[in-house]
Amino acid sequence: MSELILQSLYSGLLAGGSYALIALGLALVFGTMKIINLAHGELVLLAAYIAYMAESMLKINPLLAIPLALIVVCLASVIVYFLVSKIVKDRELNSLLLTYGVGIVLTNAILLIWKSDIHSTSNEWFQQSLVLGSLYSMNSEVTFFVVSLVLIVLVWLWLSKSWYGRAVRAVASNRDAAKLMGINPRWTELISFVLSGVLATFAGVALYSYGVIQPELGSALTVKAFIITVLAGAGSIPGVLLGAVLLGVVEALTTTMFSSALQELTGMLLFLLVLFVLPNGLFGANRRRG
Amino acid sequence: MKIKLAVWAIALTAGFGVTTAQAEEFAVGSVISLTGANARGGSGMHEGIMTAVEVFNRQQSKHKIKLVTIDDESAPAKAIAGVEQLASQNVVAITGGATSDLVGPASTAANKLGLVYITSGGTSEELISQGYKKFFRINNTSGYVHAMTGMFSDMGIKSLSIIYSTKKSTNELAVDVDKIMTAKGVKVTLHPFDPAITDFKPILNKVRLQDRPDAINMLGYENDYVGILRAAKVLKPNVKALVGVWQIANAKMAGDFPDLVPNVSGTEILPYPVAFSTAEGKLFETTFKALYHKSPDYLGEYGFVQSMALFEAIARAADKGSLKKGGLADEMRKTDRDTLIGRLQFNDKGDNPNFIQHIGQHQGGKIVIVWPKEFATGKMNFPGVPW
Repeated sequence: MSELILQSLYSGLLAGGSYALIALGLALVFGTMKIINLAHGELVLLAAYIAYMAESMLKINPLLAIPLALIVVCLASVIVYFLVSKIVKDRELNSLLLTYGVGIVLTNAILLIWKSDIHSTSNEWFQQSLVLGSLYSMNSEVTFFVVSLVLIVLVWLWLSKSWYGRAVRAVASNRDAAKLMGINPRWTELISFVLSGVLATFAGVALYSYGVIQPELGSALTVKAFIITVLAGAGSIPGVLLGAVLLGVVEALTTTMFSSALQELTGMLLFLLVLFVLPNGLFGANRRRG
Repeated sequence: MKIKLAVWAIALTAGFGVTTAQAEEFAVGSVISLTGANARGGSGMHEGIMTAVEVFNRQQSKHKIKLVTIDDESAPAKAIAGVEQLASQNVVAITGGATSDLVGPASTAANKLGLVYITSGGTSEELISQGYKKFFRINNTSGYVHAMTGMFSDMGIKSLSIIYSTKKSTNELAVDVDKIMTAKGVKVTLHPFDPAITDFKPILNKVRLQDRPDAINMLGYENDYVGILRAAKVLKPNVKALVGVWQIANAKMAGDFPDLVPNVSGTEILPYPVAFSTAEGKLFETTFKALYHKSPDYLGEYGFVQSMALFEAIARAADKGSLKKGGLADEMRKTDRDTLIGRLQFNDKGDNPNFIQHIGQHQGGKIVIVWPKEFATGKMNFPGVPW
């Protein structure tokens, strides 16, 4: 039994890393602009399909598709931002509707271009098992767990130490005051969206490398990312990792101790429980808007 | 002069009459999943249906089928709305339905509207227990169960782990396989999974450490099989066979995932490379290739068979003048012909009592039929796993 539990914890940890990578972009935009980008999952999926296209047509490692995927996904992110920026009233609600519509367009565009077949990497190294004692995983899972950690640290450092990062936090805190301080809010918000696109790109390439992709996956990814973002607390980047790992571990333990049929239910219960006990999420705090 | 004019008039009218006596056109509705979670199955079936339209219309000039397709987006509510919309467009019947979860509500709507509904995507036993007189299907769960349990018996396994999706059809399959194999003295362990899960390592680890079965039975869909086989390749449970149900023993899986499927088995009517020996089979294959520039698979075959049966029944009913008087269902029940999937008949519940699946195994990039023996095209690799 202990071997089962240990494997569950390990699988859950790795799954959490993957979830964190998917959620990070959504959390960034939500934390800085209070906008829930419901098309975020589709942006991740778009990157995954670019990786698939690169591997199947050019016979290259999916990692080498990242530069091309970055261009496409960041461009898509910029387009989403410009659409959102046109909203004049009730931005938080109307952006939900707008990005939901964008998500539908992206899903159907993916379906039109790449059809409904499922795809996954054929790269042998990524699929090879990595055995650490009695713990099993795939090379791709461990690789992208490390990538996830690195990106989280980089984003956190950027937000806390760089000028642009501080500008983003200033705009999130008080847009008008930031403007008076010489910060261009539109430019700052655009940077957030572009960075979200960068994170979605890595998440998508990771997804293609360790999982299976199909056109309708986008909305499920968005829901997962949203749950983790709320679990983490608005604006908390380290919270994203903790929330994601917590979700991954709870899901894996549920499968091991009870049944995989209850996995999604347990994830939702965890979400509700955390919100009940900590309404602002694990690391969230009340913010006063000027 | 007047007589000449009259003769010319009659000749012209007769000429017009010949050219205007064109094929009688019948609108047939198709509610199918072209998008959403079931798009793979729905698109495949749709290709077969379109091929049937092409073949039927070309084979004779008396009746013409016009297909009206609505995408149900893999959503039951939209499947119902699709049927209602097609009924308002006066279609004579409905074909389609990618899975039992969609066929159920769609066929209920069709029943309320008095429309014949035929499918190959609704294998759940619940569908024929509803008492719908106008519901027809060409395949069923018991055909798949019979094939899998037959093969397990021939293998002589003592223990079996069933990993199954909690969707309706796969859930029923699991219950039936469990009942039959347990009655044969095989130790069976069940592992249901939510269709949304992607990481199967926790389940496979339980199978590896706790169950330690002789064989694993995977009951799901393409994306599930890839996840399960990937996890199995990592954990390498000590099993002798991996057997799936639909959507696994086909050329697409062999081509897209050649590293995951060697020695994996699944239900499949025909081997690959496929070789149709009948005239209808060859016509189906050439028409399908002309339309879609690829070889047909079992989804296309099913879509073709169900639609040809429907179109022929429509033609018979139209010839008898009973089509508009509700005679189509009676003509469907009179269906008795050899098809690409064997002899096709419909009993009083609308089920095809002759349906039996075969088992195909991935061997060297091909699909070899390994069960039942009378249809086998090669020997089963047992024990045999992908690693």
